[in-house]
Amino acid sequence: MKISQESHNTHISQKFNQELEDIRSQLLEMGGLVEQQIQDAIQSLTEGDTQLAKEVRKKDREVNQLQLDIDEQCTQILARRQPAASDLRLVLAVIRATADLERIGDESSKIAKATLKLSEEGTSPRGYIEAKHLGNHVRKMVQDALNAFARFDTGQALAVLREDKNVDLEYQSATRALVTFMMEDPRAISQVMNIMWVLRSLERVGDHASNLAEYVIYLVEGQDVRYTKTEVIEAALTHPKP
Amino acid sequence: MNNTTTAPAIKMADLGRNSQQLNLAQETTSIDVQNMNLYYGTSQALKDVTLQIPKQRVTAFIGPSGCGKSTLLRSFNRMNDLVDGVRIEGEVNIDKQNIYAKGVDVADLRRRVGMVFQKPNPFPKSIYENVAYGLRIQGINNKRLLDETVEWALKSAALWDETKDRLHESALGMSGGQQQRLVIARTIAIKPEILLLDEPASALDPISTLKIEELIHNLKDKFTIIIVTHNMQQAARVSDYTAFMYLGKVIEFDSTDKLFTNPNQKQTEDYITGRYG
Amino acid sequence: MQISLKDWIRSGSPWIWLSASAVAISVVLVLGLLGIIASRGLVHFWPATLQEYTYTQAQDLKIQVLGEQVQREQVTAEQIRNSGIAVPEGMELLGRQLIKVGNREVYGSDFRWALENQLSNLDYPTYATSFERYEQGNFYGFILSIKENGQITAQQEKGSNQLWASVIERIQQTDLIHTKIKALEKGEIGAINYKLEQLRLDERRLVLKGDDTPENLAKLNAKKAEQQAKYALLEAELRALYKTLSTASLVVITADGQTKEINFSKIVRAYQPNNMSLTQKTSHYFTKLWEFVSDDPREANTEGGIFPAIFGTVMMVLIMSVLVTPFGVITAVYLREYARQGFITRVIRIAVNNLASVPSIVYGVFGLGFFVYFIGGNLDKIFYPEAAPAPTFGTPGLLWASLTLALLTLPVVIVATEEGLSRIPRTVREGSLALGATKLETLWRIIIPMASPAMMTGVILAVARAAGEVAPLMLVGVVKLAPNLPMDMNAPFLHLERKFMHLGFHIYDVGFQSPNVEAARPLVYATALMLVVVIAVLNITAISLRNRLREKYRALDM
Repeated sequence: MKISQESHNTHISQKFNQELEDIRSQLLEMGGLVEQQIQDAIQSLTEGDTQLAKEVRKKDREVNQLQLDIDEQCTQILARRQPAASDLRLVLAVIRATADLERIGDESSKIAKATLKLSEEGTSPRGYIEAKHLGNHVRKMVQDALNAFARFDTGQALAVLREDKNVDLEYQSATRALVTFMMEDPRAISQVMNIMWVLRSLERVGDHASNLAEYVIYLVEGQDVRYTKTEVIEAALTHPKP
Repeated sequence: MNNTTTAPAIKMADLGRNSQQLNLAQETTSIDVQNMNLYYGTSQALKDVTLQIPKQRVTAFIGPSGCGKSTLLRSFNRMNDLVDGVRIEGEVNIDKQNIYAKGVDVADLRRRVGMVFQKPNPFPKSIYENVAYGLRIQGINNKRLLDETVEWALKSAALWDETKDRLHESALGMSGGQQQRLVIARTIAIKPEILLLDEPASALDPISTLKIEELIHNLKDKFTIIIVTHNMQQAARVSDYTAFMYLGKVIEFDSTDKLFTNPNQKQTEDYITGRYG
Repeated sequence: MQISLKDWIRSGSPWIWLSASAVAISVVLVLGLLGIIASRGLVHFWPATLQEYTYTQAQDLKIQVLGEQVQREQVTAEQIRNSGIAVPEGMELLGRQLIKVGNREVYGSDFRWALENQLSNLDYPTYATSFERYEQGNFYGFILSIKENGQITAQQEKGSNQLWASVIERIQQTDLIHTKIKALEKGEIGAINYKLEQLRLDERRLVLKGDDTPENLAKLNAKKAEQQAKYALLEAELRALYKTLSTASLVVITADGQTKEINFSKIVRAYQPNNMSLTQKTSHYFTKLWEFVSDDPREANTEGGIFPAIFGTVMMVLIMSVLVTPFGVITAVYLREYARQGFITRVIRIAVNNLASVPSIVYGVFGLGFFVYFIGGNLDKIFYPEAAPAPTFGTPGLLWASLTLALLTLPVVIVATEEGLSRIPRTVREGSLALGATKLETLWRIIIPMASPAMMTGVILAVARAAGEVAPLMLVGVVKLAPNLPMDMNAPFLHLERKFMHLGFHIYDVGFQSPNVEAARPLVYATALMLVVVIAVLNITAISLRNRLREKYRALDM
């Protein structure tokens, strides 16, 4: 059965409502923080702002702490409330989502680390444009996935899944360009490789964002769509309900 | 997995499911209920119930109080006949025979469809005589046969070790959980095909409840088991299939896995997640 | 103070006190009742001291009086003067004693009232002897001599006691002979009489049937002759025994000097209460008590025992229970288990309850009219034409009394059983039905055993009511003196058509119909106590049975 945003506010137990609302809003808060981390990491990279990069690395601890907090709350709900059906799916989706968000946080931290490295070893002659572009792209994906989560919007989640293909294409073309550049100018390999790692991280962020989108579909539709092709999901989602 | 076919044929329900899961369509039917209506006087307790209970599986009936789940259960061995002013329409077929047809021997039916009640109701007799009661009713008085059956039934009910040294003591001296297992032993002693359990653990403590649940799990190879329970976690734990009933209707009947993670009906969802006001 | 009183009332303790005092009053009443009955009744069997007085009836008329002091009371001098007896001036209150003087054939009455101021020279003569006799009550006096066939064989001086041992010995001898005679009369001769009566009825039956062929009659006559021959032998034996009985007699002298000859065969026992030790008195007491419970009554029920009454009471109650239990239980089972609950069952229940409050004499009238005259009369016509015109069942008897009481107590059993049936948890019935038992099997194997304590409660209440009932019995079977027990060694052993004695009626009879009210009064108390004891024993038996059943079929806690 499809559920909506209000589904979790109608329990007989008000406290249960509150607990579910808490993990959901904390997840979104964590999502907001992670989104900010990506943005800051990219900004520090493109502007060579080492201060901001350090900030990002410091804030990653907050992200980790949030994951622990949310997971703890989810454990409590599982133990005490033994949620079923959509409640169960919400809790499971939140647990899985925190893991992905935490990984996104880690990737942001890696990007910040690359920024610091680049500032020490000299800036890369190329790749900043691609990184910025890809960065904004995946940041948008994370944002959309979180919005889909907030609104239980499978349409938007599907859009995120579709977007992941574009991210992959963009990542491939960017890496191909950088590899070509490195072959032309081997002296810059070291710096360009740093940018390559950044690109790689951003691509991973895109993957995590599409995981988030899959959880939204699981949460709303009750079907686990991991490892299922996007076209198939799309076909199933648009299939009229009996 | 079924996800390589053309797009329009794919349903959401087909995704992510394992083909090894229980599937109602592949089960042999034990009890076939067709368009059953049941009235107590003027009030209708069951409304157009159509249901196929699978053989040698555990089926749970859940639903709020007064939804008719006990009534439905009791109509499988015609215990409702004892109520004044009850009227039944439709068919209940067990082995393709309508048990509400004329000329059906109710006592014989009840031998085939055993029942265990909410409160342990051992007879004020010895443990042995309680288990042997159903056999004695059938006129079996052969000592050896009785001994063997009593032992088998008590062993099947996981009660033999606790009772073998006091078979001839009163059953009323046992604990509630033991009494309920004794009642189950008494019921299976006459080797029914179907075992109806009407909230068998609702009067018991959690440990006794778990023992009963374990017993149900062990018995399902031999019997078709139908259990009515208020406790949704219990239904989720013990049953293969679950039917959710509301206001005399079967709202949803599906495998327990499906029903408790992703029910099809909003009423089911609301009930199992605690949303009824 | 006002507030504390209010609080006290609100706290509820006044109600506790109220109920506690109600309980206390009830207990006191019950114990008081039992106490009075027991003390008045049991004291009677204690050998009372014999007192001898000089009784000044008038200035020059003085007589010696020997007897037991029975009662003592204070009366006003005024009252005595009004009855024309001179009382010295200046006395306000006078003591008055009721003395049992016995010697009915001498004094005309057993008891005598005497004003204490007319009594003097109180003495307790050691050898004053009290004789209990089969007829004419007690005799109090002193032993003078023993006569054998009219000849004095032994003699003693007044004030000596040398004959005492031989008197006791002779009494014991005659007692033995009495026992033999009784055994003969009640046993063998009774059996022969019974057989002769049966033969007479057989003959009559043959005549009625037209089967009185010479061979049949000859057979009967042969049997008759056989019995009569036996009878002749026994009669000779009996006559011989009687002869040995009446040879010896005892000469005694009363306190006022009259001599009297008493045949030993008339003496039940003799004792010298003033010469008895405490142990002897105690043993005497228990002998008397045993005689009271185990012996037949004598002298219009004012002496002897009450065994036939106890036996009759117990017998009737038992037969009544046997009759009422199945009947009541079946009725209750039908009403509760099978009948469709509705207007008709409600009417039946109301009727049953009303039946319980109908005065018992009405049952007596009904029993007499319906059981005795209608059913009994018709039974006689059909089965006992040979006995006509003497009725067999068409007259009050044990069966009809038991049936009448069964009818009387039926509502109690029905109500109690229904109550018990309704208290059996539905789950237990369903448990049995769910195992494939039919309704009848469930009833028989589960419900009835579980309801048995309640049924026993009904029977207990029925027994309690039936054992104490007197009024209807007077119409349907109880008599003041029954010649035979309703059970004996002659087939069919239990004679339901016989009349019987009953403790309750015995109390009424002895207390109000006796020619000798003063002598009977302690017996009334003793009999009442006995009735209470019998009811208690019956009840305790039933209650212990019920408790055992209850333990066995302890209902599941619901």
